[in-house]
Amino acid sequence: MPDGIPSPIFCPPLHPAYMAAFVVRRVFWTIPVILLVILLTFGMMRAIKGNPFRNTERNIPASIQKNLERKFHLDKPWYVQYALYVKGVFTYDLGPSMLQRNQTVNDIINEHFPVSVQLGVFAMIFAVVIGVPLGILAALRQNSLFDYLAMAFSNIGFAIPSFLTSTLFLYFFALKLGKYTGFPTFGWSGWRSWILPSIALGLGPMTYFARLVRGTMLETLQQDYIRTAKAKGLRWRRVVGVHVLRNSLIPAVTAAGPLLGYIITGSFIIETIFAIPGIGKYYVTSVSSRDYSVTMGITVLLSILIIIANLVVDILYGVLDPRTRDQRA
Amino acid sequence: MRKKGTFWGGIALALALVVAGSAYAATATSHKKAVLNMSVGAEPPSLDPGLATDTTSAFILNQLMDPLIRLGPPPALKPEPGLVQSWQVKGTDVTLHLRHDDKWTNGKPVTANDVVQSWLRTISPELAADYAYQFYGIVGAQAYNSCDTSKQDCNALRAKVGVSAPDKWTVKVKLVSPQPWFIQQLSHTSFLPVYLPAVQKYGNKWTEPGNIVTDGPFKLAAWKHDAKLTLVKNPQWRDAKNVKLDVVNMPIITDASTALNAYKAGSIDVDTTGFNPTDIPKLKKMPDWHVYKALGTYYYGFNVKAIPDVNQRKAMAAAIDRHAIVKYITQSGQVPAKAFTPIGISGGDLIDKNGWLPQGGVDTPAGLKLAKSYMAKVANPVKDINLYINNSPGHIQIAQAIQSFWQKLGITVNIKVQEWKQYLQFLGPPPNSSVGAYRLGWIADYPDAYNFLSLWTCDSGNNNTNWCNKKYDALMNKAIHTQDAEKRTKIYQQAEDLLTGKNGDMPIAPIYWYTYTALVRPKVKGFFITPMDNVFLDKVSISS
Repeated sequence: MPDGIPSPIFCPPLHPAYMAAFVVRRVFWTIPVILLVILLTFGMMRAIKGNPFRNTERNIPASIQKNLERKFHLDKPWYVQYALYVKGVFTYDLGPSMLQRNQTVNDIINEHFPVSVQLGVFAMIFAVVIGVPLGILAALRQNSLFDYLAMAFSNIGFAIPSFLTSTLFLYFFALKLGKYTGFPTFGWSGWRSWILPSIALGLGPMTYFARLVRGTMLETLQQDYIRTAKAKGLRWRRVVGVHVLRNSLIPAVTAAGPLLGYIITGSFIIETIFAIPGIGKYYVTSVSSRDYSVTMGITVLLSILIIIANLVVDILYGVLDPRTRDQRA
Repeated sequence: MRKKGTFWGGIALALALVVAGSAYAATATSHKKAVLNMSVGAEPPSLDPGLATDTTSAFILNQLMDPLIRLGPPPALKPEPGLVQSWQVKGTDVTLHLRHDDKWTNGKPVTANDVVQSWLRTISPELAADYAYQFYGIVGAQAYNSCDTSKQDCNALRAKVGVSAPDKWTVKVKLVSPQPWFIQQLSHTSFLPVYLPAVQKYGNKWTEPGNIVTDGPFKLAAWKHDAKLTLVKNPQWRDAKNVKLDVVNMPIITDASTALNAYKAGSIDVDTTGFNPTDIPKLKKMPDWHVYKALGTYYYGFNVKAIPDVNQRKAMAAAIDRHAIVKYITQSGQVPAKAFTPIGISGGDLIDKNGWLPQGGVDTPAGLKLAKSYMAKVANPVKDINLYINNSPGHIQIAQAIQSFWQKLGITVNIKVQEWKQYLQFLGPPPNSSVGAYRLGWIADYPDAYNFLSLWTCDSGNNNTNWCNKKYDALMNKAIHTQDAEKRTKIYQQAEDLLTGKNGDMPIAPIYWYTYTALVRPKVKGFFITPMDNVFLDKVSISS
């Protein structure tokens, strides 16, 4: 076979009908999952005590408490509240926020979720673009100085919590070197303000990818079929590019889906430190303020996000590994 | 090795591009306009005066709206004309005369009817305003607010509320009892009138820029939620010629370090977000550091059922080294409290005249002797006490200090930390029976000692101590009916003595009186945080 053309045996075309059925089935399954998520969140939020309307030491007179409960339907039995809520989710009307009195949960999601997605995607791009090549190179040059440096860097990067890296980044690159870099110390407007938070958020996943890819690469490199490929006289670049990489990247793809979900939801600290108007901050503060509707709305949103991420991963899986495709067919 | 070279080369190129790009983009265009950049510590939960309850919303509202009453300089905080030009108080009848030249941003005049209808809206059970109780001093307000809209028609009760507008510029109010502080109370944002046609037209969204109609020195130009508010001068405001600022940029920064970085980087000129205790010693040396006295008290309450002996409570209150707490823990110029009513309140020095709590507590020989002498009088001392606090580093440090002070009296203190909302529920009233002592604070709603001392009446929703003294309640009731400020101060003094005096019942141990802190760049003139936690930017200017 001429060099440079991918070997056809590794990727037979996906059958469109099969793919459609698979996606439809998975989308259908999200409905009971979401109902369960709502029920669990609903139950847990009610189980932790605390009055959603009392934010300061000032006690709320009983009559005012009653007015508030009536306004937010908290005076109704729990199953009515649950039913109202489920109806709201399926009509995309997630109700009013109990804390931000002039905002609905829809407003909050519409305004702040895109920011978190943007931040999460930038962080993910950083993690993949740097992390995967780093892992590949480290594996190909196992036990070299580069390998040691890359892995030391990965371990340190993985161990340092993001609040520390954020603070250090801010101190050095925005505060001390701000004259040269032009990085602002806070906010989310313009590309300069995107760089530091994206790197700070992406650093952990990046080191994770680097170590994961390195590990699986090393494992793949030991496989018989690699030896065969080498023995066949294939060029080393081709062996790595077609045989090693494709098989080594499967775990990374598997990890990427949930990780993207984690990055988007777990950006609370980064959002707080960089004063970014994302959804992560609302998520955490809504729990501490018992803003039930906001907590539920964001939980449902994030579960849908993670379900979609997993779906995409499963589809990609099929592209990368024909065996998984065959089993499902 | 070629691959490695390419890889690092790529990184280097990317970095070079970033640096070059940044250097090229030299910003800082100078404006002739007076622009103030200041951080606010939270996204304002609501810019609807009826719904706002927090200090951030109140701060913004005070720039956008014209308060009915403004308060004069501390400590007297005398009522001064705002939207209300003059007023008469005759017992329970209050008449307010509005100025004729106050206009909404749409050009329409602000009338007495606007005030009356706005108040009725806030009192209405449908709005479910948290601060509707601010109006409970008005005849019929509590009854109307308590009306159950799902069971009855509340319009009859609405008609009975004691506010009316006999003409375009006059508001008449009938109070349930003479409340000498009512005029001062009108300075609160809950009493601000709103432009109801805008509220009706835009519903919940009426506070968004473009929809909101205001009548104050500034207009809301932009509000990017959770990111930034922008105010611009309102050239039509009645006193616009004396407003020096043209634009106020308010990035929303919740994190103390982030705000401090922004200040250091020069992105903001006023930082009121709050400060990490570790930063304070350094900041205090800067000329930019400002401390403002507040009307507020940080205190420890005792569950008098758990610690029944008054002498033990006195011993514990006396044992606290307040001086050390404000010097080494809070560090922001807080004042050790000798009584509950903050001394900065009008008449405070008289009310607290008999304050006896030793400032150094057990860390001074006299204080230790005093605390031990009280402890010696206790027949059955409670030696094992649960101290409840909410989960915040500052409170934990103070609790640990107090634990060590009380240890010197032979009392073992178990510090129990709870999350804020659970904590509030746990304290009741009545408090959970396992509570021995707890910490809370109180910041004034209106500048009269009644707002503090009325916390400790038998049926007060903020009395978490189980303490109930009919004599005290009688004094509070007498204060409500005493118009004369001097006489009222004397009543407050008796109440304070009954509460924290040498012969008092000591259901609480006051710790310190609060302060507010801010970093303000020297070029910003006229910035001041009032004891009620208000800032009025129409008094602020920037010197070049």
